[in-house]
Amino acid sequence: MELTDEIRISAPRDVVYRALNDPEVLKDCIPGCEELTQNSPTELEAKVVLKIGPVKARFSGEVTLDTTNAPDRFSLTGEGKGGAAGFAKGGAEVTLTEDGDETVLTYTAKVDVGGKIAQLGSRLIAGTAKKLSGKFFTSFGEIVSEQSVS
Amino acid sequence: MNDQTLTPEERATNLKGMGCARKRVEDVRFTQGKGNYVDDIKLDGMLFGAFVRSPYAHARVVSVNKEAALAVPGVVAVLTAEDLAPLGLHWMPTLAGDKQMVLADGKVLFQGQEVAYVVAEDRYIAADAAELVEVDYEELPVLTDPFEALKSDVVLREDLAGQTEGAHGPRKHHNHIFTWEQGDKDATEAVLGEADVVAEEMVYYHRTHPCPLETCGCVASMDKVTGKLTLYGTFQAPHAIRTVVSLISGLAEHNIRVISPDIGGGFGNKVGAYAGYVCSVVASIVTGQPVKWVENRMENLMATAFARDYWMQGKIAATKEGKITGLWCHTTADHGGFDACADPSKFPAGFMNICTGSYDIPTAYLAVDGVYTNKAPGGVAYRCSFRVTEAAYFIERMIEVLAIKLNMDAAELRRINFIKADQFPYQSALGWEYDSGDYHTAWDKALKAVDYDGLRAEQAQRIEEFKAGKTRKLLGIGLTHFTEIVGAGPVKNCDILGMGMFDSCEIRIHPTGSAIARIGAISQGQGHATTFAQIIASEIGLPADDITLEEGDTDTAPYGLGTYGSRSTPVAGAATAVASRKIRAKAQMIAAYLLEVHDGDLEWDVDRFAVKGAPERFKTMKEIAFAAYNQAIPGLEPGLEAVSYYDPPNMTYPFGAYICVMEIDVDTGEWDVRKFYALDDCGTRINPMIIEGQVHGGVTEALAIAMGQEIAYDEMGNVKTGTLMDFFIPTAWETPNYTTDHTVTPSPHHPIGAKGVGESPNVGGVPAFSNAVHDAFRPFGLVQSHMPHDHWRIWKIANGLGMHG
Repeated sequence: MELTDEIRISAPRDVVYRALNDPEVLKDCIPGCEELTQNSPTELEAKVVLKIGPVKARFSGEVTLDTTNAPDRFSLTGEGKGGAAGFAKGGAEVTLTEDGDETVLTYTAKVDVGGKIAQLGSRLIAGTAKKLSGKFFTSFGEIVSEQSVS
Repeated sequence: MNDQTLTPEERATNLKGMGCARKRVEDVRFTQGKGNYVDDIKLDGMLFGAFVRSPYAHARVVSVNKEAALAVPGVVAVLTAEDLAPLGLHWMPTLAGDKQMVLADGKVLFQGQEVAYVVAEDRYIAADAAELVEVDYEELPVLTDPFEALKSDVVLREDLAGQTEGAHGPRKHHNHIFTWEQGDKDATEAVLGEADVVAEEMVYYHRTHPCPLETCGCVASMDKVTGKLTLYGTFQAPHAIRTVVSLISGLAEHNIRVISPDIGGGFGNKVGAYAGYVCSVVASIVTGQPVKWVENRMENLMATAFARDYWMQGKIAATKEGKITGLWCHTTADHGGFDACADPSKFPAGFMNICTGSYDIPTAYLAVDGVYTNKAPGGVAYRCSFRVTEAAYFIERMIEVLAIKLNMDAAELRRINFIKADQFPYQSALGWEYDSGDYHTAWDKALKAVDYDGLRAEQAQRIEEFKAGKTRKLLGIGLTHFTEIVGAGPVKNCDILGMGMFDSCEIRIHPTGSAIARIGAISQGQGHATTFAQIIASEIGLPADDITLEEGDTDTAPYGLGTYGSRSTPVAGAATAVASRKIRAKAQMIAAYLLEVHDGDLEWDVDRFAVKGAPERFKTMKEIAFAAYNQAIPGLEPGLEAVSYYDPPNMTYPFGAYICVMEIDVDTGEWDVRKFYALDDCGTRINPMIIEGQVHGGVTEALAIAMGQEIAYDEMGNVKTGTLMDFFIPTAWETPNYTTDHTVTPSPHHPIGAKGVGESPNVGGVPAFSNAVHDAFRPFGLVQSHMPHDHWRIWKIANGLGMHG
């Protein structure tokens, strides 16, 4: 499954990039995130409760960042395990482009899911994934804009 | 009693014997919701089991942590392979001569594989606790394509490492299971080399699933006082299950009672032994309490036996006039992670060698390679005799492909190649002796019934209109003439785990002239209680309404191999007729005593023995029954009962002619079945209404398979069709009207000439639907397109042929 989107955030690029690396901000923005720990500048560990259709499960995941070309672009790869509910793994390419006082964030994510969540049909999963990423970026945009103003 | 006022015909009618459209006696309870299925069984202190299943299709199981699950109040036990290993029950034998993990032993080989079994006080606690079992997996590369699996370095079955010899001969690769060859390879290749015309095609019969309305399940109840295990379950072969349970558990067979209660459809899904049975039996022995396990729909579709998944590469040779001279087939059979196909032991590809079909093909060769992949095990006969539907689909597609190559009408091509009525019994090039048939009569009747010439004229006109831009709908005419091989089978070559595939019937006549019969088969909706009583009624002259049929309890029923592969009527039905005749023979001696004549002076007359030449002197069967219990007859034991274990001398070969007329919208891929005509010849017809019901049900399942139903996997080995949202089951909305018809060509070796019909409509239906789709696109260049023909795939055919502008 592939997800792509473009979001305009009312904050300069360095503020956006800093926020994307701030575990507290991420924890507040990721829907259902219970814990988020930064083990190193490029390694994160998270516990997230997800509900996809009739399946609700707690996923434990690890995310690794590649910040070689930051803040223009960076990539991340990760894997989450949800026990009986299944698992997910994937990666995303993110670019941050300055546009005046604002920043345009675009991302392309590729996610593979397995187990019960995969069997419920891609219709359901794609819709849920879009909804979750939408929620994430709405919250993220709000928090970052506030930070930028204050 | 000496009632002579009724004619013999009227007396026969009153018996409701063979040929009568007797209403199903089972339906009194089913239509009132009073059936008794496995999940209706509630025993005191009953516990419930639930599986922890693998989300991965191929992974190493690094660890299983039960602590959190065991901490849940109400959880009694959590079983893993480690717990079963000391009992030797972490693996079990399969029907195909392989072995299969009961619970994951170090690794998993398909998504949904059983990893741990949670036993709890109720079903909800068991399900919740199963989610708390923490399993650490290490992902391994996934192989879902059998052709890739045969080339891959990835070893799926590490337990078989170094074993170059399998249950069915040499293994060519670590993911290879067997090669099975039939016919004459050299002669066939020579024919192909010299032929005027050779048509070649890959015919794929996709993976699907029987998906019975009731899923698989059981209740195991160990009585620690008597030492007796009672196992209730959705078993299509209760006696075979008892023997298997005895062999793998070590419990003596007389201490095991297997009961199949009402079964909500089987279609092959309930033939094999599943991990759920073994774990429930173990859990009951350990806890001393009854344990119930019933799978849910997702578990049923992803883990218990699938069907088909055959890649059939074919070559068919013919003269330029269309006379077929040879047939060659190489099949790559995807068996999943374990070889758990349910076939007679000596037939690892079932009766796939019936693939010469209804045609007189002098030379043929078949090879089948079985392959391990990361998919669920199974390979059951889904409403067909073993791999017969694959064979019928293959030959009926190859005939169409040959017709295209020859630029011939496919109906005529069939006609000139049919085995002729005077050629029976017919010896096929791949080893079978067809018992009887009259294909030309059936074919002509079918073509006339649908006005075949008229349909072709309409089709030609439709093509003109399409080309002129006046319509976007095509007309397809799907033809099929199938020959089945059912009624397994002769003990000399058919066995399951060493047990010969005979079947049995025991009949007891009560003093007042009613009766009880017990058989080794078991109904899953076939209506045995109705039809077997009709066989007995006609054979011994007691009304069917006075005869009870009991089956499915191994403590009372005689040993038999169960119901699948259309074997009930050909085998248990024959045993029923033979047992009835034994009773009639004794009844004749009793009647002779009562009438004070020699038995040779009596003749049978519907429901009585009468003195030859003096029909007013007779004894009815009812009178004879009473005499059997109240007269001291010199030289005869009291009582009137008989048992027969029937070993059939041959299979039976039902056949039929099916024609489907289908409208197809090239822009949306939508199809509409305008007419479906099904002519079946199942030999002697016992109950026309039940036959019609069987045909309706079987054609509807065929519609499902051909037009949408599949078990699809993605490249990670995820089952993409794990719910009824994605797995197509036709409803009243999709189901067309069917026209049924018949001819009657009795089996010469069966006591009543019956051949079996339950599976014909599935075997014949699938190629009829598929051929209709192909036929619609034939004028535009389509030769072969794989099933299922859902709207998307039909749209792709049209798109690929450039029909979307």
